[in-house]
Amino acid sequence: MSVQAGHVVSLTVNGSPATRTVESRLLLSDFLRHELGLTGTHVGCEHGVCGACTVLLDGEAVRSCLLFAVQADGHAVETVEGLAAGGELHPIQAAFHETHALQCGFCTPGFLMTLVPYLREHPAPTEQEIREALSGNLCRCTGYKNIVDAVALAARRGAAAGRHGAEAAPARRGGSGASRRGAA
Amino acid sequence: MTARWLGERVPRLEDTKLLTGRALFTDDVDLPGMLHAAFLRSDDAHGVLRSVDVEAARRRPGVVAVWTAADLGEYWKPGPALVPPPPIAGLVFNSATQVPLAREKVRHVGEPLALVVAVSRYVAEDALDDIVVDVEPLPAVTDLEAALAPGAPLVHEALGGNVAARARQSKGDYAAARGRAHKVIARRFRYDRGAAAAIENRGVVAAWDAKTEELTVWDTTQAPIPIRNGLAAMLGLGESQVRVVAPFIGGGFGPKIMMFYPEEVLIPWAAMRLGRPVKWIEDRQENFYATTQERLQIHDAELAVAKDGTILGVKDRFLFDTGAYDPYGLTIPINSQCTLLGPYAVPNYDSEFTAVFTNRPIVTPVRGAGRQHGVFVMERLLDLAAKELGMDRVAIRRRNFLPPDAFPHDHEILFQDFAPLTYDSGDYGPAMDRAVDAIGYERFLREEQPALRRAGRHVGLGIVSYIEGTGIGPYEGARVTIEPSGSVRVATGVGTQGQGHFTTFAQLVSDVLGMDPSKVQVITGDTREFGWGTGTFASRGAVVAGNAVHEAAIRVRKKVLKLASEVLGVDAGELFLECGSVHVKGAPERSLRLGDLARKANPLRGGVAPGTEPGLEATAYFGPERGNAANGVHAMIVEVDRETCEVRIRRYVVVHDCGTVINPTVVEGQVQGGVAMGIGNAFYEQLVWDENGQLMNASFMDYLLPTALDVPAVEMRHTVTPSPLNPLGAKGVGEAGAIPAAAAFAQAVEDALEGEIEVLEIPLSPNRLFDLLGSRSRP
Amino acid sequence: MIVQGEYTFPGTREAIWELLLDPAVIARTMPGTEEMVRVAPDRYEGRMRVGVGAITAAEFTVSVQLADVVPPERYTMQIDGRGRFGFTRGTAQVRLAADGAGTVMRFEADLQVGGKIAAVGQRLLDSVSKLMTRQGLESLSKEVNRRLASADPGSRSPNPGPLP
Repeated sequence: MSVQAGHVVSLTVNGSPATRTVESRLLLSDFLRHELGLTGTHVGCEHGVCGACTVLLDGEAVRSCLLFAVQADGHAVETVEGLAAGGELHPIQAAFHETHALQCGFCTPGFLMTLVPYLREHPAPTEQEIREALSGNLCRCTGYKNIVDAVALAARRGAAAGRHGAEAAPARRGGSGASRRGAA
Repeated sequence: MTARWLGERVPRLEDTKLLTGRALFTDDVDLPGMLHAAFLRSDDAHGVLRSVDVEAARRRPGVVAVWTAADLGEYWKPGPALVPPPPIAGLVFNSATQVPLAREKVRHVGEPLALVVAVSRYVAEDALDDIVVDVEPLPAVTDLEAALAPGAPLVHEALGGNVAARARQSKGDYAAARGRAHKVIARRFRYDRGAAAAIENRGVVAAWDAKTEELTVWDTTQAPIPIRNGLAAMLGLGESQVRVVAPFIGGGFGPKIMMFYPEEVLIPWAAMRLGRPVKWIEDRQENFYATTQERLQIHDAELAVAKDGTILGVKDRFLFDTGAYDPYGLTIPINSQCTLLGPYAVPNYDSEFTAVFTNRPIVTPVRGAGRQHGVFVMERLLDLAAKELGMDRVAIRRRNFLPPDAFPHDHEILFQDFAPLTYDSGDYGPAMDRAVDAIGYERFLREEQPALRRAGRHVGLGIVSYIEGTGIGPYEGARVTIEPSGSVRVATGVGTQGQGHFTTFAQLVSDVLGMDPSKVQVITGDTREFGWGTGTFASRGAVVAGNAVHEAAIRVRKKVLKLASEVLGVDAGELFLECGSVHVKGAPERSLRLGDLARKANPLRGGVAPGTEPGLEATAYFGPERGNAANGVHAMIVEVDRETCEVRIRRYVVVHDCGTVINPTVVEGQVQGGVAMGIGNAFYEQLVWDENGQLMNASFMDYLLPTALDVPAVEMRHTVTPSPLNPLGAKGVGEAGAIPAAAAFAQAVEDALEGEIEVLEIPLSPNRLFDLLGSRSRP
Repeated sequence: MIVQGEYTFPGTREAIWELLLDPAVIARTMPGTEEMVRVAPDRYEGRMRVGVGAITAAEFTVSVQLADVVPPERYTMQIDGRGRFGFTRGTAQVRLAADGAGTVMRFEADLQVGGKIAAVGQRLLDSVSKLMTRQGLESLSKEVNRRLASADPGSRSPNPGPLP
């Protein structure tokens, strides 16, 4: 029970290949943070509700706390560290800065990674659509208003045509923003 | 000095690190040889702890150590009482503080029983399953009134009862006032528990360096300096041997200033014992009962009013759930007691609270810290009085506002800082005017609401006033240093959890030293950088630390001018600072870069005049004599779906006065975020316990935080009455948004339902609203 | 948590009584029971595996102490189950009454649930307990029918005679 067999996981993360031998039960979030040192991906609830750990798997926003590292074998993962390639902020990051869309910043990487594919699929969302897209990510500091403003600003500037990060990956569907309120 | 940056919307300097994933949070600390800890926690809320058998856990491969209370020896001690009882006559105070690991008894679900350290968190958690615990269950204390009845089970047998504290504060003669009253409004109010629910859970990483004999601790705390001092004392080390770093913190909201959590006591100790770094990171489920919480209070309150709506007096008797231990003393109920008075003239007041031990997790301040209860009770009483008197809601508030010439106003009772509750400044009428205007109060009541009602819609308005006592002492400090590079370093002791201190403190320095804020590097929360101070609480960062930063910058400026006047051979009065240089008035080409001046201030050869301090550096402290009174008005319009009981907030207006505003963008962000938390408290968030003290919704699936769909954009207006208690004129803002939201929400829902129900409890929820409506419609 | 109800079995009280207290039958019919042993005339011990929401297979060690046993009329069970995901404990009362050719069982359990299973499974506990109760009763009923089908017709007397 305690010592588990190792599995080889090979994947690309932010465009670079990585191979590690891990236990089958290792979460993708822990793999990224502790095996690869990519600590920009944050863990807030470990049950798929808060969205802080959102990363892209083959271009699609996923909760890395709900995936095992072995499930990412052979796939392309993108994290917040890959967004500002070349040292220049991604348009969505820049919009967050300009509109004061982050306070403690802990949830922010998850919001950014939710928005990258969302804006690619929805280049001109309405405010209500933005709020729906954001409703799968929890923020305790900002009260969301400035995040909504940031998304609108990024959309106006055409963040979908963003030069960085996720553009190479195929987009399947936008975001993980389905409201969880339905069942509540 | 020109105020070029004060009041400017400077974009935050700390953002880039946070946006790119380069900011260091506690769980990001990774050290060679690091071990991982997990805690076994009690499943029982109350019971006799017969045994904790850890032998099997110790044998598990990968496990390095397992400890129970019995293994801690002399190190096992109850935690410190953080806030001593205030000097109130007749006060009863029974102190019972949390323990590192339970011994003999368990007193709440989640209380730690054993600590496992292993090669990974996964293995440590495996080993928790190997531990066999024998608890003989005892009846749980969960109901505040039953807890006080004779024969009730006792949380702490040695105290002989469940009373944690009782304190009465009064002024005037309430009984006489009641006798003169035209109406007396009496109700029971209830305000229940929620979780602070910062998205980052707590965590502690500790490393002992046996060669330098230094302990380094990374801790998600709002109070790194007191943690360092306490750890040094507990571990028998000098304070200079302990470095506590509060790196970027993923939201605080109060519970992260609790001291000392069992994990904070044990992880550094384990690291020293094992000679290896140890990390413990709380998971979300632990956070629901191992992190402190707040809010259950039950008030039996009454308001005596004259026929014209003038407040003659208020009487309040309330119960306060302090949980299983009371390390934070009476801060919360005293805040409730004081904040109830609001912006009003209350000539006669009689308030007594009883703090009650229960078998629930420990209660310490959460954003607002008892203030919302006071506001809720007073504002609800005024609403009910207005209804009984046939008065307008706004009119009854205006009738009772303290006039602008009433300041400083002494309320004749003690505040949480043990100073008399004295309002420093304020002007409440204009704040109300602006709120009435912004929400369109008159038009809504006369035209919009009747039209909506005719169309079958249930739309209502809420408008309430509040005072927030902020910016209390004792003190904070800061050191400002001009470096040879020309950039400026500011080190201060307060930690930061997203309030924008890196930017607002830089703005304060920029104006004084004539430079761009981007050249000012602010360091917070590292005891090696600055070792004096208390922490970030009570909306005091900008007020107390801000003024210290400002004063330190002024002292550096004096040094700059003195040295520059010597170097340039002109009188200091002929100099000015701009763009990182000192210039001579009228001859701007004669200038010195501040970096060059800093180098000159630290010469390698030659003599310096007696009494000269090297470098361009100064340290200053600021301690206000007492807290100041921020104030504001919240107004909202809600629509209630009579069938589903869903409530939608259509508009939300905040008029806020926090004195001098350093950065409006940051202030508005604090208010918007506070309102979101207030809305959560009002309608979504409730920790639900069963009668056995079991928490029944310990996940974000069942405990609902407001989402982007639930929180409206707040329409914000500022009014400014500077505080005379500090040179900047600042008042605090961190908690303001959260405090009056529930009172406004309750009034608005009641109004939407045309008085069909009275809202006397918070939180509401669609379910609860449905029950309240249902009970009315039954025959 | 209160779990209560009644169920009508074919067969006499004595036959039902015997089945209800047979550890092998309990193990077969009570959902999630992996092992059940009668360690003393009035005491059972065993293991159960139960899924509640996000907790998919919580294992409990269970002990049941009988009290107030009046065959074939009534008995009380002190139930104590504990495991890594929390605990269940409480009392259950079972009463049997003759009803024509059959037997009506009335039961009422007052159970305390604690730990993780209460904390994250609360909203499902009620439906899970109802489901388990129904499944248990239906399996027991099948067991009764099976036994009746293979048993001596003499034992199917509608009148079990006076109580012992």
